[in-house]
Amino acid sequence: MWKIISGIFLGWSLGANDSANIFGTGVTTGIVKYRTAILLTAIFVLIGSIIEGPKCMRIVGDLSRLVPIEAFLCALAAAITMTILTYFAIPASTSQAIIGAIIGAGILSGSTDFSKLIKIVACWILTPIGGIIFGYLLYHGLKFIFDKTIQSLTYRNTIYTVGILVAGCYGAYSLGANNVANVTGIYVGSGLLSCQMAAFIGGLSIASGTLTYGKKVMITVGKGIAPLDPFTALVTVLAGALTLHLFTQIGVPVSSSQAVVGAVVGVGIVGGLRTVNPKMLVKIAVGWLMTPFAAGLMTILFIYFISCFNELVKSPI
Amino acid sequence: MFLEKIFSKGKKENQLIGHITKQIRLLCTACGFFKTAIETDNPSLMQQVMNIERAADIIRRDIISRIYEGAFLPYLRPDLCKFVEVVDNIFDLLEDTACNYLDLELPEQLRSECIQVAFLNRRICEMLLITFESMLKGEDLREKILAIRIYEKKIDDIKFDLIRDARKIEITNFWDGEILSQFLSCLTSISDVIEDASDHLQVIHLSMK
Amino acid sequence: MKVKEFMTTNIKSIDHKRSVYHAVERMVNRRIRSLLVRFPGKEREYGVITARDVVFKVLAKGIDPKKIEVSKIASKPIVAIDQNTDFKDVAKIMEETNIARAFVYDQDRIIGLVALMDVMSATIIARARGEYVS
Repeated sequence: MWKIISGIFLGWSLGANDSANIFGTGVTTGIVKYRTAILLTAIFVLIGSIIEGPKCMRIVGDLSRLVPIEAFLCALAAAITMTILTYFAIPASTSQAIIGAIIGAGILSGSTDFSKLIKIVACWILTPIGGIIFGYLLYHGLKFIFDKTIQSLTYRNTIYTVGILVAGCYGAYSLGANNVANVTGIYVGSGLLSCQMAAFIGGLSIASGTLTYGKKVMITVGKGIAPLDPFTALVTVLAGALTLHLFTQIGVPVSSSQAVVGAVVGVGIVGGLRTVNPKMLVKIAVGWLMTPFAAGLMTILFIYFISCFNELVKSPI
Repeated sequence: MFLEKIFSKGKKENQLIGHITKQIRLLCTACGFFKTAIETDNPSLMQQVMNIERAADIIRRDIISRIYEGAFLPYLRPDLCKFVEVVDNIFDLLEDTACNYLDLELPEQLRSECIQVAFLNRRICEMLLITFESMLKGEDLREKILAIRIYEKKIDDIKFDLIRDARKIEITNFWDGEILSQFLSCLTSISDVIEDASDHLQVIHLSMK
Repeated sequence: MKVKEFMTTNIKSIDHKRSVYHAVERMVNRRIRSLLVRFPGKEREYGVITARDVVFKVLAKGIDPKKIEVSKIASKPIVAIDQNTDFKDVAKIMEETNIARAFVYDQDRIIGLVALMDVMSATIIARARGEYVS
């Protein structure tokens, strides 16, 4: 059972990093207080994990046939990779780290199902695109509706306040539903945990990450992607949440940061493509490539060392 | 916490709006008193204008603290504060003008033009109130802001003539001339600051669209 | 909205015996397009001279403006409107008499001038105040 510790660590780091994506814009525009944001995120992440978390676990489990020790090492490799990349400020996605690690282990054992990998990679690419589409459509759609129905200043003020809170809760729910598979899905595949148990433990670990470390990351990350006005903040949060939820229904865990980045770009396109920063896109692309490779490589090294160690222990000197 | 915000259904915001409306209405009253005071050459009525300025100051402080106690989105607060401060500047200008009036003998050749400016100042304040109320409803402000500009332009035209006529007056004492000059300057600047205030309303209106 | 609210009160006048050149100087100096012309007589008689009059009747014909009196090109009598007239009626009067500006009187004194621009400004203000009913 100790083997799930690496998964819990992974979940904690996911909670710490990704909760900023959900409420970051709401907090930096001052609509929501940090304490409120963190608390709501933790609660709704857990709810999302429990209710819809199992949907994405299947594909993670089916990707490679793993034994429990391999599951432990994969999660460990993913967690270390995430920590290192975050330290160097390269945008890293937990989904890509864990999948890379699983592929690494699968290559060693020869049990990788590459058809599933193709589906996963396709969804990774589609995530920011989904974010862009939802961002663009929501911006125009909501703007049209609001202009027709809500004109009074105080009423709009209330709608924006309530809207961001509701959207944020939905975003946290989607995060839990979609990403808990990254954290503990691997243990379901290797038979250590049942789906429900994995969802619950994973959800708890993500929530704990949010509660303990979420604030610090929210301050730095939120400022980086903070849009200019309450309406745009609402649209980006909602678009990100919808994108995540969509991929949950498809059954593939994706990156919440890329969903939000896509949403911000989608809204930015409304004002013309000048707002899209090419340097940022390059950085994201680098992260995309580096993360799974680094995690995969690390996993291969871990498994290799462990098996060498096992051999040494078995054969008496 | 946040639940309070939802359940209060904009109570704080409505209270704040009531206060700002009161502040602008007070401005209209002050301008009305000012105009009547010049027309009838009534010093005690002019003194009332200065008393109103003090009352307006208290309202302003109350408004600012209400804003930062949590009314409206943080995004809007700086613009709202700026607007309230600008309205307060108008009061200060009006008070200076009243003060100067009490300190001088207004030459008769300038009186009718001064009354005309005072009358237009009252009208432009009323227009500012109308603009504020429209902004609250989310209506388009273009027409109202244009109306304010028209009034401001009219006052500017009269200012030109006022100064020209004032130059014909013989000044025997430097301070008499200085106070008259300040009086005219303050009187004709009020509309400029009101135009400023209306621009701030437009900013608030656009930032919530 | 009454015409007295949007009229210009600063009216410049000129004696009927002055030269057109003098009128031109005044108009250019003050950047105005018309002058009230004062005629003698027990009952105050007025005429008006506009930029159009000067350009069309004098300058275009090559006449030396210094050699012609204002009274020769002034229009008489002037169109004067009561100060309490509504601005919509002012527009009608101006259209009927085909003039670009009219004087405003209070009993027997000319107290102001209202031009086309003033009527347009009055429309904007009336609409902004919610007083405009077409």
